[in-house]
Amino acid sequence: MKILFLSFTLLFFFTPNDTLTGRWESRPSEKGNVTGVFFKPDHSLEGYVNKKPFTTGTYDFDPKDSIISFVDNGCNGVRAVYKILFFSNSDSLRFRAISDSCTERKNGMERLILGRVK
Amino acid sequence: MIFMKKRFIISAIITITAFAFVQSTVITNGPAAKATLGRLLFSDPILSKDHTISCASCHKPRFAFADTSAVSKGVAGKKGTRNTPTAMNLLLSNSFFWDGRAGTLEEQALAPIENPKEMNLSLDEALHRLKDNEKYNGYFKEIFNSEPTKENLGAAIAAFERTLETSDSPFDNWKFSNDSTAVSSAVRRGFVVFNAKGKCVQCHFGADLTANEFRNIGLFNGKNLDDSGRSVITGKAGDIGKFKTPSLRNIAITAPYMHNGLFKTLEQVIDFYNDTKKIVPNAINKDSLLEKPLGLTKQEKTDLKAFLISLTDKRFRN
Repeated sequence: MKILFLSFTLLFFFTPNDTLTGRWESRPSEKGNVTGVFFKPDHSLEGYVNKKPFTTGTYDFDPKDSIISFVDNGCNGVRAVYKILFFSNSDSLRFRAISDSCTERKNGMERLILGRVK
Repeated sequence: MIFMKKRFIISAIITITAFAFVQSTVITNGPAAKATLGRLLFSDPILSKDHTISCASCHKPRFAFADTSAVSKGVAGKKGTRNTPTAMNLLLSNSFFWDGRAGTLEEQALAPIENPKEMNLSLDEALHRLKDNEKYNGYFKEIFNSEPTKENLGAAIAAFERTLETSDSPFDNWKFSNDSTAVSSAVRRGFVVFNAKGKCVQCHFGADLTANEFRNIGLFNGKNLDDSGRSVITGKAGDIGKFKTPSLRNIAITAPYMHNGLFKTLEQVIDFYNDTKKIVPNAINKDSLLEKPLGLTKQEKTDLKAFLISLTDKRFRN
C-alpha cells in the first residue's frame, strides 16, 4: 500500500501536468532560422535559435486557462503574461499577450508559432 | 594474354577510381557549392594587390576567424585602424564592421578587397584576375552560370561565412542540450553575474550573445582614443564613439579585445567594465549603463571569466 501511495505521489510530481512541458520549435524561417523553447518540468525555460541558447528564465503555467507567466534574462526582469493558444491537437501553439511591457519581446512572441518536438 | 587482361583490368580500376575522385571534388551547383567556392576565395591571396594577403590572413581560422594583433597588417605591411572582428556567427547579424557600414554579408565580403589598408585591389582588377584564372572562371560558370561578377564574388564569400556558425560549447550543451554536467559551478555563478550584477546581458543578449546594437562603452575621449565609430556612418553626434556590440561566442580565443584591440586579456576587459573611469577617466558620450562602477568582487570576476571561456566551441577546445 505504501509503495502504491509513493508511486502515485511520484507520478503526480514528475508527470507533466500540462500540455506545455517539453520542447517546442518553429518551422525554419525564410532565412532558415529555427526558434525554439524548452519548457522544463522544474518551471525553468530555455529559448534558443538554431540550437543557440538566447534566453533563460522561469515560468508558471496555469493549464486551466492556458496562461503562462514568466521572467527571462532579456527584459530587465520584467514579468510577462501570455495566453497560450493551442491548436492542431495541442501539437502547435502561439502566444497572445495579456501583459508585457517589453516591446521587443512582445513583438517576437506574438509572431511565434511553435510545434511540439517529438 | 592473361597478363594483358590483368593490365587492362588494373587500368580500368584506376581510371574509374580517378574519375570518381575527380567527380567528388568538383564543385557542383547549390548553396554548398557557393560556400565551397567562397572557402577557396577566402584563403586565396589572388584577391590582394601584391598576392600576399587573403581574407584568412587576418581572419585566422585557428582563432575563430579573428586576428591575434590589435590591428591587422594589410598589403605592404600597412596597418589597419581597427581590430579584426571574428568572421564567425554572423548569420543572425544585420549589420557588419565595427561601425555597421555594411548592411549585408555580401557587401561586407567585398569591402576589404578594395580597402587600401587591407587588400588594396580594385574590384575590376579582382574580377579580371578571376576571369583569367581557368579554375575560378570555370567554378563561377558552373555555380552561377556566369563569369565572375561583383555580385557573385560577394555571394560566394558570404555563403562561406554563413557556414561559420558554432553551437557546440559547454554553455550550449548546458542550456540547449540540458546537460547539467557540461559546465562547472564557476560557470553557473558566472552566468548569474553576467545576467545581474555585471549587467553584461543588457548589451550581450541573444543567440550569439550580442543584441547587435551600437554602444559607446567609454573608449572615446577625442584625444588618444579618437575613433568616432558609428557617427561617421550616420552623421549623428549621438553616435560618437559607438561601435557594434560583438558576439561573445569563442571570445576566449579572439584576444585582443575592443574595436582598437586595447585589452590583451579577458581579465583586463572585466576590470575595465568593472570601473571604466579608472581606465579611461575622460570618456565622451559614454553609455549611462556604465556610469557607476559594477563593484564586482575578485570571485565574481573569476566566475565571469569562467563563463566567458565556456562559450568556446568544441572545435577550438584542446
